[in-house]
Amino acid sequence: MRKNVTGYMFLLPWLIGFLCLAVGPIMASLYLSFTDYNLLERPVWSGWNNYRNIFTKDGSFTHSLGLTFKYVLLSVPLRLVFALAIAMVLNKGLKMLGIYRTIYYIPSLLGGSVAIAEVWKAIFAGNGIFNRFLSTFNIHAPDWISNPFYLIYSIIALSVWQFGSSMVIFLAGLKQIPNEIYEASNVDGVGKLRQFFQITLPLLSPVLFFNLVMNIISSFQVFTPGVVIGDGRGGPLQSTLFYALYLYQQGFSYFNMGYASALAWIMLVIIGIFTMVVFGTQKYWVFYGDEKGGKK
Amino acid sequence: MWWGDQARADLTNQMFKLYEEKHPNIKIVGETSPFDGYFDKLNTLLASGSAPDIFALGSNIPDYVSKNVVLDLTPYVGKGLDVSNVPASLIDFNTVDGKMYGVTTGGNARAFAVNTSVLEKAGIDVPNESWTWDDFAQINGRVTQKLGKGYYGSYDPSGSYEEFETWLKQRGKVIYDNEQKKLGFQPADAAEWFQMWSDMRKSGAIVTAEEQVTSGTDASKSLITQGKVAMLVIPSNQLASYQKMTQDKLILLPYPNGPQGNGLAVQSGASIVGYAKTEHAQEVASLMDFWLNDPEAIKILGTNRGVPASTKMIDVLRADASAEDQIIYDYLDLIGKNTNVKATINIPGYNEFAQLLMTASQQVAFGKTSIQDAVNPFYEQAQKVLDINLKTAQ
Repeated sequence: MRKNVTGYMFLLPWLIGFLCLAVGPIMASLYLSFTDYNLLERPVWSGWNNYRNIFTKDGSFTHSLGLTFKYVLLSVPLRLVFALAIAMVLNKGLKMLGIYRTIYYIPSLLGGSVAIAEVWKAIFAGNGIFNRFLSTFNIHAPDWISNPFYLIYSIIALSVWQFGSSMVIFLAGLKQIPNEIYEASNVDGVGKLRQFFQITLPLLSPVLFFNLVMNIISSFQVFTPGVVIGDGRGGPLQSTLFYALYLYQQGFSYFNMGYASALAWIMLVIIGIFTMVVFGTQKYWVFYGDEKGGKK
Repeated sequence: MWWGDQARADLTNQMFKLYEEKHPNIKIVGETSPFDGYFDKLNTLLASGSAPDIFALGSNIPDYVSKNVVLDLTPYVGKGLDVSNVPASLIDFNTVDGKMYGVTTGGNARAFAVNTSVLEKAGIDVPNESWTWDDFAQINGRVTQKLGKGYYGSYDPSGSYEEFETWLKQRGKVIYDNEQKKLGFQPADAAEWFQMWSDMRKSGAIVTAEEQVTSGTDASKSLITQGKVAMLVIPSNQLASYQKMTQDKLILLPYPNGPQGNGLAVQSGASIVGYAKTEHAQEVASLMDFWLNDPEAIKILGTNRGVPASTKMIDVLRADASAEDQIIYDYLDLIGKNTNVKATINIPGYNEFAQLLMTASQQVAFGKTSIQDAVNPFYEQAQKVLDINLKTAQ
């Protein structure tokens, strides 16, 4: 019993912070989502109004949701592919592994910041370095920053560039695969490609699962790149109106905080559904080494 | 709290020090933020009840008054706050429902900044204030023709609230009719506005949609200072910032004339208001009075926010004004002669409306939809936004 008390005492600072700074506001926002609240006056109860309006009358909701889906569907797989690819290269036992690992991880640390987004904006601008580089090969690339049809790709590129954190986790997972398995398969004459699909992937699947879930959850909440690389208000032409930015706009620019709270809870539910689905598919492709039997 | 860059912050803080010297028992803490995000910051402070005693607002004073967060200054007029030298139009601007809420810190008017060197290179005479929209279109066309690719006559203001409203005023209309509490224009007006710019865009006379996004509102990237664009709409007080970045001579011109003249009026570029829940209302009035009427304060601030609201103070500054500032003063004198232009207040739900207008303009500019398909949803949604905001303002 005494051991437990000590444990809880150590937990207490975090617990207080969690309750007051996270759970409290979250519950408050649930309440606010059923009100009209313009930030400056008292909230007025309005029942399901906000939710009804979101689903029936709000074109921007649909647009921002679709845009965010597109972003998640493109950036998450790409990021995971890059992360795994680089992790596999680094796993070959290079001499300066530690240094390379750090170098590839750095974008992850800096990536989401405003400063990097500004730099990204300058690099990919119509007459920025990237396009000028391409033009030396006579490739006339579009304006990745000011053209609403292409903006999303520069933002996806920024996200993929931050593959470092996923890569480090893949690297750890790769290192856990015993070399004997590869050696045994080499003796059996298994080619590299089959090795990858029949050995590496299944044994890596718990790590892949973890990375997939984490990346999906964080990608849905994309905000900073949208604000900085776009024009700060979801443009040009709503091409950077990610869900989180739209929510922010409704709450702080349009004074519809109740509506914004409803949007926030809808996003929570959506991310929750995606996460549950991915969890649900676990048994079909995630192979935990301590189970009997293998991949179905 | 106010918006602006470091230069403005330095000047403002200097002015505060002067005030503190004259009022040793009052201490002022100044806070600043770039314009982008200023209102988000302000709204958060207001929501948490910790807003500064004085903060800057623009033409969105009515929105904040309706939410009861602005101090009524009427009781202090004549009792610590002297506004006798402020022209009636600027007082009206800061008045809602008969009560005065703000003090103008900078008067300006919308203007076309014109790079005369570009016009010279293209062999075009610099127009004067009686020019028309046809002249405007012609000049733009000739700049592109004579100077070739990469050169444009003008930037594209079709997505900007103030520019659209000025054009409407030239036709006796407004964006928001405060007396009748409804939209003051028809979809056909918006369509005509977009069509005019679309024709010029198609012929290359004005910048491409992408260029407008890249450099249309960013002085540091503007092509007008690089001699590639001849004309750009700015608030008159920004002339000096642009002129600093180029050797070409920039002047100010009023809008091309429409059926009822150029529709321009001297406006309050920025005002300061008091926080409704301030505990220092008398001091707030005193600082505002100082900001408005003290010659030394005015000399420190100069025309950084625009022309001083008090006509007496304008005379103080005019005596040693720089060349660019003289251009600004002369320009505002010219605009001040427009006596038939009605003052308007911004539409309730200004932020949302401005966003709708910008989106519609970009839809046309990027060729995403036809003009009619951009205008109709725009008008419908603008109506909805207005209805929602009128309801909550009651």
